[in-house]
Amino acid sequence: MALALPRRHARTAGAKTGTDLHRRREARFAWLLILPTILGVGLFTAVPIVGSFVLSLFNYSIISPTKWVGLANYGALLHDSSAQHAFVVTIILTVGIAIAQVVVGLALAVAVQRRTSWARSVFRAAFFVPLLVSGASVSIVMSYIFDSQFGVLNYYLGLIGLPQVSWLDSTWGAIFTVMIVVTWQQLGFTFIVFSAALGAVPRELTEAARVDGAGGWRVFRTITVPMISPSILFTVTVGVINQLQLFDQPYVLTHGGPGNATQTVVLDIYEQAFQNLRFGYASAISVILFIVVLVATFLQFRISRRWVFYS
Amino acid sequence: MQTTRSEDHERLISRRCFLVGASAAAGLASLGLAGCATDRSPNSLVIAVNGTQAAAAAIKQAVGIPFLAKHPKVQLSIMAINGTDWDDYFAKVLTLIAGGLAPDLTTVATEGLQLFASKGIAQPLNDYVMRDKASLRGYFADVHPVLVESMMYQGDLYVLPTDFNCGNMFFDTVLLDKAGASYPADNWTRDDFYNLADKWATTQGAVAWDWVVRLWGSWTSWMYANNANLLTEGRWPGGSWMWDTFYAGDPAAQGRKGGWHWGAPTANEPAVVDALQYMIDLKNARLSAPPDVGGGGTLQGLFASNHIAMTIGGGFWAGGLHAAGMTPHQYDVQYFPAWSVQKHLLGDAGYAMLRTSPVKEIAWEFMKSLTEPDALGALIAGNTSTPTRRSMMTASRYAPTGPAHWPVFYGTLDKFPNTTPIPAPPYYQELATAFAARTTQAMAAGSAKPALDGLQGDLESFVSAAAT
Amino acid sequence: MSDQPAFAVTTGVRRRAAGQAAAAQPERRLRGVPVRRTAGRVVEIVLLTAVALLVVSPIYWTIVTSLRTPAQSFSNPPAWIPTHPLWSNYSAVFTNVPFWDFLLNSFLVTGCIVVGQMITCCLSGYAFARLRFRGREPIFWAVLATMMVPIQATIIPVFLLVKEFGLFNSRTGLILPVVATAFGTFLMRQYFLQMPKELGEAATVDGANQWQVFYRIYARLAGPPLATLAVLAFAAYWNEFFRPLIFLSTPTKFTLPLGLVTLQGYLGTGSVSVVLAGVVLSLIPTLIVFLLAQRRLVEGLTFGSVKG
Repeated sequence: MALALPRRHARTAGAKTGTDLHRRREARFAWLLILPTILGVGLFTAVPIVGSFVLSLFNYSIISPTKWVGLANYGALLHDSSAQHAFVVTIILTVGIAIAQVVVGLALAVAVQRRTSWARSVFRAAFFVPLLVSGASVSIVMSYIFDSQFGVLNYYLGLIGLPQVSWLDSTWGAIFTVMIVVTWQQLGFTFIVFSAALGAVPRELTEAARVDGAGGWRVFRTITVPMISPSILFTVTVGVINQLQLFDQPYVLTHGGPGNATQTVVLDIYEQAFQNLRFGYASAISVILFIVVLVATFLQFRISRRWVFYS
Repeated sequence: MQTTRSEDHERLISRRCFLVGASAAAGLASLGLAGCATDRSPNSLVIAVNGTQAAAAAIKQAVGIPFLAKHPKVQLSIMAINGTDWDDYFAKVLTLIAGGLAPDLTTVATEGLQLFASKGIAQPLNDYVMRDKASLRGYFADVHPVLVESMMYQGDLYVLPTDFNCGNMFFDTVLLDKAGASYPADNWTRDDFYNLADKWATTQGAVAWDWVVRLWGSWTSWMYANNANLLTEGRWPGGSWMWDTFYAGDPAAQGRKGGWHWGAPTANEPAVVDALQYMIDLKNARLSAPPDVGGGGTLQGLFASNHIAMTIGGGFWAGGLHAAGMTPHQYDVQYFPAWSVQKHLLGDAGYAMLRTSPVKEIAWEFMKSLTEPDALGALIAGNTSTPTRRSMMTASRYAPTGPAHWPVFYGTLDKFPNTTPIPAPPYYQELATAFAARTTQAMAAGSAKPALDGLQGDLESFVSAAAT
Repeated sequence: MSDQPAFAVTTGVRRRAAGQAAAAQPERRLRGVPVRRTAGRVVEIVLLTAVALLVVSPIYWTIVTSLRTPAQSFSNPPAWIPTHPLWSNYSAVFTNVPFWDFLLNSFLVTGCIVVGQMITCCLSGYAFARLRFRGREPIFWAVLATMMVPIQATIIPVFLLVKEFGLFNSRTGLILPVVATAFGTFLMRQYFLQMPKELGEAATVDGANQWQVFYRIYARLAGPPLATLAVLAFAAYWNEFFRPLIFLSTPTKFTLPLGLVTLQGYLGTGSVSVVLAGVVLSLIPTLIVFLLAQRRLVEGLTFGSVKG
C-alpha cells in the first residue's frame, strides 16, 4: 500500500538532530494520545484509590468520629485468620477460573473459527450470551440448577447413574460451583478476545506452513499460538486481575458459604465496610489485595518475555 | 412531579474543591474532615423508602399529595431504594450520609434499629409523640405493644412501626391432602411436627421441611421454641412514658420497659445447640432438604411448586406465594409448634427520622401520615407484609391471596405474650454474617456444637469490640 | 521481541515435511476428501454443538421460566418447552417499572461510555504499544494498577469526588468517570503490539508523519479489537448495578439493572418469573449490539500484502 505523501525537509537534516527532533515529536505525539486516559483514569480512579489507601490509616465508620490509628489496621490483619483464609480461597478460585477460562475459551475460539460463516455467527452468539446477563440476575437460575435436592444438574446426573453432588452445601462443592458459574459467565470474554486475535493472524503464514506439510496441531502450536500470544497474555492477566477481585457470584450464590468456604477477599472488604462499618479496616485489606494483584501481574509479565511474541 | 435535592442542571467543576488538591481532598473528604458544604434547600423533605418504585409512587399518591396540600412550600422527594436485601439499602443510605446527603426519613427495621439508635443517627421521638398524643391515641390503640417496644432503645422510641412479620409455620395444603394429613391444632408440639413430617418421608419429588439461612426464617424459630436465644434477653429500663400514656390497663403492656437489651452471648448453650442439631437430624433423616443459602427466592419457588410441605414464613409470604402463582387455598399457615415453650420470633419495620435532618417538624408530620391506614395499605399492597394496625387485618384483605388462617398473623401477637423480636443488637450486621457462616458450616460438617462454639467466640469478640 | 519463532517454524516445518513425504501412506478418501478429516470434522461439530447447547441452557431455562409462573418452573424433569406461554409476565414488567425510561437511560449511559472508551483506548493503546517516550512503561503500569483495586473499596471516595463535581444523581456522573479505562487501554495495546512493525516503518519511509501512520494505517486495522472492546464494555456497563445504585436517586434516571431489582419486590415477594422476564428483556439490546459488532469481529485481516 503506497502512500503518496509530501516529503519532509527534516529528514535531510543532520542525523543526530533529525533523530532527536523525531524522538521529541514522537514523545509529544504520544503524550497527546495518552492524555485523555491519564486524566480520566488519574482523576476518577487513581485519586479515589489513594484516598482509600489513606483511609486505611484511620478508623472510619461514617457515623462515628474518625480516629487516626496509623498501622493498627494492618496489625489487626495479621491476627485476622478469616481475612487470611479469604486470600487463600480467592487464590484457589483465581487459579482454577483463569486456567479454565483461557483453555476453554481458546479451544472454542479455534473450533468456531474453522466453521462456515453462518455457523460461526451462531456459535459466537451462543458462547457470548452468558456474558450479556448480569451475574446477580442469573443467580436465581443458578441456585436452582445447582440445588442439591431439587436441582436440574443433580437430576440429570442421577439419570445417567452418577452420584448426587452437594453443590452448594459442601466446602469443595461450593468452590467448584463458583468456579463453574464464573467460568460459564466469563467464557464470552476469552472467547471473543481469541476470536478477534485468531482473525488477525495472517493467513499466508498458516497457508505456507500447511503447504509445507505441517499438520493442524503443529501449525497451531508453532504459528498460531505465538501470533496470538499477546492476547493470551492479555486474557490471563486480566482474568487474574478480575478473579482476584471476585465478588458477584460468591455474594449472591453462596454468601461466602458454607462457613467461609467461598468467602473471597472483596466479599470480606464489602462486609467490613458496609456491614460492620469498618471502612478503615476494609481499606487496609484492599491495600494488601492491591499488592497481591500487582505482584501477580508483574510476575506474569516477567514470565511472558519467554513465550510472548510481538511482531 | 418529584424534585431532587441537587440542581438538575449539573455544574461541571466545583473550583473550590478542585484547587485544594484532588488527592488530599478525596482522602480527607472521605474522612469527613474537610468536607465541602452540602447544599440542601431549607424546605426539601427527602424520604428514603426500602421498596419498589410502585410503592414509592403509591405513597406519593396516598400520603404525599394530601401532605403537600397542607404544606405547599415543601419540596417532597421520595427515594425508592430497592436492593437485593437490606445490605444494598444500607450501603446506599450510608453512602448518602457520608456524602452529606442524608435523607430526612428512612426505612428502618428491627435489624438496624439499635445501630441507628446507639450511634445517634436516629432521632428519639418521645417529645414529638407526647406533644401529639391526642392524635396518636388511635394509632397506638391499634398497634400491639410488642411492636412498639421492639422499636425502643434505652427507653426512647425511634420508629412508629408500620409492618411486621412473625415466624409462623406454612403448609402446602396440596401435599397435606395427598398425605392424608390434617391441619394441626394451635398448640401442636415438636413431636406432632415430626410425626407430620414423617408422612412425606417416602414421597418422591417432595420433602417435608426446608428453610433459608437467615436470622429470620431458619432454625432460630426452633431455638425460640426451645426457650433459648443467641444473646441474653433483657430489657432496658424506662419507657413508662409510653406505657402509662397509651397502654394504661392493657394486659399486653404488662412488664414492658424501654426496649430489648441484648446481653452476653449464649450461642453454645445446650438448648441452642439442640435447635441447630435438630436441623441436621432432620436432614439426615431425609425429612429436610439442605437449606436455601440465597435470599429465599429458591425456597419460595420450591414451595410454590409443591416440593416442600412445611417451612417458616410470615405475613409477607401471602403476597409472595400469590405472586409466585399459588392460589389462596394451596397453602395455609399455623402457629409455630411448641418445644419447651411455644414462642415466636418477630421482626418489624417503620420509618425513623435522622438526627441530621434540618426539617424535623415537617418530617414528623409526614411520619405520622405514613402510619395512617391508607398509607400503610399502599406500603404493603398485595400483602407484601403484615400491617401493624390490627384493624387492617380483615378477611377482605387476605381473600385474594390467602391464606385461609390469616388471623394467625396477628394472633401470634395477641395470643402469645412471649413473642420476642429477633436478636438485633447494635452490632447486628456482624452477628447476621457470622450466624450465616456458622450455620452453613454446621450443616456442611453435620455437627452443631463446634460451629456454635465458633459462633459464641465470634459474638464475644463483637461484644468486646463494641465496648471499646 | 525476537524474530526467532518465525524462522524456526519455516525451516523446521520444511525438514519435517520432507521426512513425512518419504513415509507417506495412501489415505482413504471420500469424494476427494480424506475420510479421517470428514469424520473429524463431524465429531468437532457435534461436540461444539453439545457444548453450545450446554452453555446456552441456563439462559434458555431463564426464558422458559419467564413464560410461566414460578409454581410451574421448579419441577424435575424440567419442562423445557413452555406449553402455555404466559405473556402477562412481560406486560407486568412494563406496568411495574417504567421500563422504557430505564432502557433509554441504559442506552444513553452505556452508549456514551462505550464510544468514549473506544476513542480514548484506541489512542492510548497505540501510544503505549508503538510510540517511544520517557516513562512509557512506568506510566502504563500505573494505569494498569488502577484495575487492581475493587470498586467496593473506592466507592465512597469516588462518590465524594462525583458529588464535588456536581455530578451526583446524574447520568453524566456515571459516564465521565469511566470514559477512560485501564482495561480497554491494555486490550488495545496488546492488539497493536500484535500488528507488524513493518507497516509503520514502511509508511514512515514513505514520508508519513506520526499522526498519519496512526490514523491511516494502524487505526484502520483496529477494527476487530475495537469491536471486541465495544462488545465487552457494552456487556459490562449495561449490567452494572453497584455504581448506579449509589450514584442515582431519581427513579427517572435509573438504569435497567436498578429497575430489574425492583421487580424482586418488597422483601423478595415479587414473582421470580417477572424478574426473569425483565432479565430477558434486558438481554435483547446487548444481544443486538453483539450481533451488529460481530461482523466487524469476523473480518479477519491480512497484513501480508502490505509489504510491497
